[in-house]
Amino acid sequence: MKDRLTKEEVLHVADLARIKVNEEEIEKYQVELKQLLDDVEKVNDVVGYDEEILIAPWDHDADLRADEVGEMINKDAVLKNAPSHSGNYITVPVVIGESEGA
Amino acid sequence: MSKYIPTIGIEVHVELKTKTKIFSSSENGYGQMANSLVNEVDLGYPGTLPTLNEEVINLGIKAATILNCKIRKQMFFDRKNYFYPDNPKNYQITQNRTPIGYDGYVEIEDNGVKKKIYIEEMHIEEDTCKSTHRKDKTLLDFNRAGVPLIEIVTKPCMTSSHEAKLYLEKLKELLFYADVSDCKMEEGSMRADANVSIRKNESDPFGTKAEIKNIGSISNVGLSIEKEIERQTKLYDNGETFKEQTRRFDDKLGDTVLMRVKETGNDYRYFPEPDIPFVIITDEMIENVKKTIPMLPDERREVYKNLGVSDINTTKLVQNRSLSDYFNELLNEKINFQVASNLLLGDISAYLNKNEKLITDTTLSKDRFLELVKLMDDKTLTSKNLKDILDDILESDKSIKDIIKEKGIENITDDKEIREVIKTIIEANPESVNDYKNGHDRAIKFLMGQVMKETKGKVNPGLAMEILTEELK
Amino acid sequence: MKYLEKPIKEINDLLKKGTIKPIDLVEEAFERIESDKDLNAYITLNKEEALEKARELEGKEVDNLLFGIPIAIKDNILTKDLRTTAASHILDNFIPIYDATVVEKIKEKNMIIIGKTNMDEFAMGSSSRTSYFGAPKNPWNNNKISGGSSGGSATTIAARHVPFALGSDTGGSIRQPASYTGIVGMKPTYGRVSRYGVIAFASSLDQLGPMTQNVLNNALLLNVISGHDSHDMTSSHREVEDYTRLIGKDIKGKKIAVPKFLMSDIVDSEIIEKIESVIEMLKENGAVVDYVDMKYLDNAVTLYQIIAMGEASSNLARFDGIRYGLSAKDPKSHEDLYLETRREGFGKEVKRRIMVGSYLLSGDNAKTYYNKALSIRDDMATEFDKVFEKYDYVIGPTTTTTAYNLDDPMDDPSKSFMDDVLVIPVNMAGLPGLNIPVGFDKNHMPIGMHIIGNKFQEAEMYRLGSFIEKELDLDLNPKGGK
Repeated sequence: MKDRLTKEEVLHVADLARIKVNEEEIEKYQVELKQLLDDVEKVNDVVGYDEEILIAPWDHDADLRADEVGEMINKDAVLKNAPSHSGNYITVPVVIGESEGA
Repeated sequence: MSKYIPTIGIEVHVELKTKTKIFSSSENGYGQMANSLVNEVDLGYPGTLPTLNEEVINLGIKAATILNCKIRKQMFFDRKNYFYPDNPKNYQITQNRTPIGYDGYVEIEDNGVKKKIYIEEMHIEEDTCKSTHRKDKTLLDFNRAGVPLIEIVTKPCMTSSHEAKLYLEKLKELLFYADVSDCKMEEGSMRADANVSIRKNESDPFGTKAEIKNIGSISNVGLSIEKEIERQTKLYDNGETFKEQTRRFDDKLGDTVLMRVKETGNDYRYFPEPDIPFVIITDEMIENVKKTIPMLPDERREVYKNLGVSDINTTKLVQNRSLSDYFNELLNEKINFQVASNLLLGDISAYLNKNEKLITDTTLSKDRFLELVKLMDDKTLTSKNLKDILDDILESDKSIKDIIKEKGIENITDDKEIREVIKTIIEANPESVNDYKNGHDRAIKFLMGQVMKETKGKVNPGLAMEILTEELK
Repeated sequence: MKYLEKPIKEINDLLKKGTIKPIDLVEEAFERIESDKDLNAYITLNKEEALEKARELEGKEVDNLLFGIPIAIKDNILTKDLRTTAASHILDNFIPIYDATVVEKIKEKNMIIIGKTNMDEFAMGSSSRTSYFGAPKNPWNNNKISGGSSGGSATTIAARHVPFALGSDTGGSIRQPASYTGIVGMKPTYGRVSRYGVIAFASSLDQLGPMTQNVLNNALLLNVISGHDSHDMTSSHREVEDYTRLIGKDIKGKKIAVPKFLMSDIVDSEIIEKIESVIEMLKENGAVVDYVDMKYLDNAVTLYQIIAMGEASSNLARFDGIRYGLSAKDPKSHEDLYLETRREGFGKEVKRRIMVGSYLLSGDNAKTYYNKALSIRDDMATEFDKVFEKYDYVIGPTTTTTAYNLDDPMDDPSKSFMDDVLVIPVNMAGLPGLNIPVGFDKNHMPIGMHIIGNKFQEAEMYRLGSFIEKELDLDLNPKGGK
């Protein structure tokens, strides 16, 4: 068993999380994430669990909301909180690359 | 170029026709001022939580039903995590593990041959915000953020661009007729992605696929699939390979262009959404939704044909949902349906198009329309008469009889009266009668002209011709 | 003037009679807070608005017990027009445009919001030392932590600044600081209190609760903040009962389970001894106490790391510098905006947890670990269900040690979770948990007992808590003199 993650593995996670890491931090995470995984390996040792999962301790099933328009917020309030805006729009530096999503 | 077998799968996103967004009560609207249809939930403000719109579940059930899908009775949502400026929470709430519908199909017909296009699954999710790229910045409009979507994913079961187009046309027609979505590709309320790969033999594994994203029209779906098959064929013919990739269709080039190569699969870090408890779909909910599904296009076509409507009229009627709905109200009546369809698709359609109206915006009630059909069918009214009085029929509440009277249309519908006039004319024109009897067809037209002249055009030409022919025997 | 330390009913009487006005209470609260500035209990004080609100209340009828009473709110709970930072640089200029549902409820009762209390950044920590604004101090010993993440709320209550505070608890964040500072802290049943307007840490574990100097006040505040909220689909429809109704009632015949794990050698012996003495007292008063084996308790911290970090990595993705909050200056691209905003805005521990959570959900890890964790979580909840078929309460110590030094090292990440090893299972199962002060260690630092109840049995828990409170009759004022 290797005792640390590769640098690439750490960089992949940092990229997913949009967390900037320097060389020192990369090294720290290489070890720390691996240790954590070993810790978490323990869940593999627990016997007796079935296939039921508990996502959250909900005490009831979903109530559905009636399809009626409610209050919306004033556009000015929206723009006031946004660090960068122009006209009626919130803005970001020009987006390069396409969405990864659907 | 060698021959390969294409394999095509289609993913379609449609925006659902609801009043509010999927997880918030702000308005689901199109074409409004930017950022005017939002609340703190849509913007992903700290502390906000989703509330699930009932109508979204109903429309999900409806879509699943008309696409012959099995419906999941207990489901939850998942978070799909990825950063992008159009994704307010930087995760999208979707259904990864428990899609509302699965194992369905849509039937297409290609030159009389029927084929099932299999639906793998369909799930509910939220739309992203709309971003517009300018030179130095990207503008974000959150009005679209949180608009409900369903994504419908087929199995890789189509083998030509033609099939893909037929599938999309059929899907669009079904979802539109069932009131699930507007399906306006030009407004983005329906968007399609196509997965395309090719292989030499049926027994070979699937080839490397390319996904063409966000294609803006059905014809472009066809075109982009063809272009993609061509591109892949050339590569294989040259002994080259390619990596799995995402492409898009460029309208101006009329071709697909590379967006990105998938180095590894996307790492979306899906996990169950803890903010939304299990959604339970009961049989009662399904039954209630089924009651709201109108007669679907295939059934309409069948019914119309059985009522004696011509093929071309049937096709045209079903293409115009509001006329078809109007027509459906008449199905139990005893009328000439071909005449009724001619009326609707002819002068009435022309009027509606010219005035940018729907038939439901006119004063043509069901009863008045039935009366009109009968008057046309028994030839009381001529098509020329109809043109004269149609505006009045569609714009006023007056009875059709009154309108006819006001316009001075008093057609001589009495056989005897017409026969009298005809007899007089025959007596006065022995030469023409002779000519007719000697086989000169033109003579009868002259005689008809005389009849019309004598009656000032108030006889039904068809009827007059019938009697004239009889009298000439 | 020491009105604020009087029993709530007396304050209420004085207000009703007009002997005092709400403004007297507000002024007194600010005097107390200002003279204790170095405790660093608050991130933002709401002085002007609180005084104005107090004046506004002068003409109004004193229509409920909490009318005109000052309250402190943890700074991860949104207050309209009042800065809410979650103790993070990334939100240090964030002015909410709406009130959390609990804040609306508090305002409806005409309670007066005094300020926003210090905490661990995004509630991630158990000593409040991850706060961007520096750690609050323990009123019992200013060199010690007051615990976390609701450390500021614990501090302000223990120091008698105000009678009421709100905290939030994801893995012990109300109960552990309550134990360290000698106050009463309740984490209600998951779903009892709306989470709408609470900056989410781990959505399936987070719950708000009252932090007070005594059991009665605690129950009174729970009465106010409980109830279904149409904005929070996970909030319960259960009717809100009067949570004070069993206070002072007998405990004869009540059945209590003590899981052996909670009394094992992971806990300091001084604490074990104290809890044992309380158990003896309870037995003498007619309670039946059994030591029981419970499965999965020792897995709770591991499960917590997977589930809480996973959810947190997703919940904190929204802080990207685009719609609100801190935004990096002159970014070169949107990716640069993300990276720089988050680099500058998040503290070390928050970044670490986001990294951990992202890692545990990435690739095949979600399948291998996350789903398994959810499955064991289900079994853990079932294990509690079984115990509650036979018992009214599960009890044990709240913490393994008493409050430690502010300058103890912070770099051992698992130490932070081990602080909460005894309280985390309650969040996993969605149960209510209550901390009751039961004494002091040799350095006169408070020791707390943890009472776990079955779902929605908060009133029953206050019965036991109030009984212990009355029997022990401790002096819980750090300055002495009750």
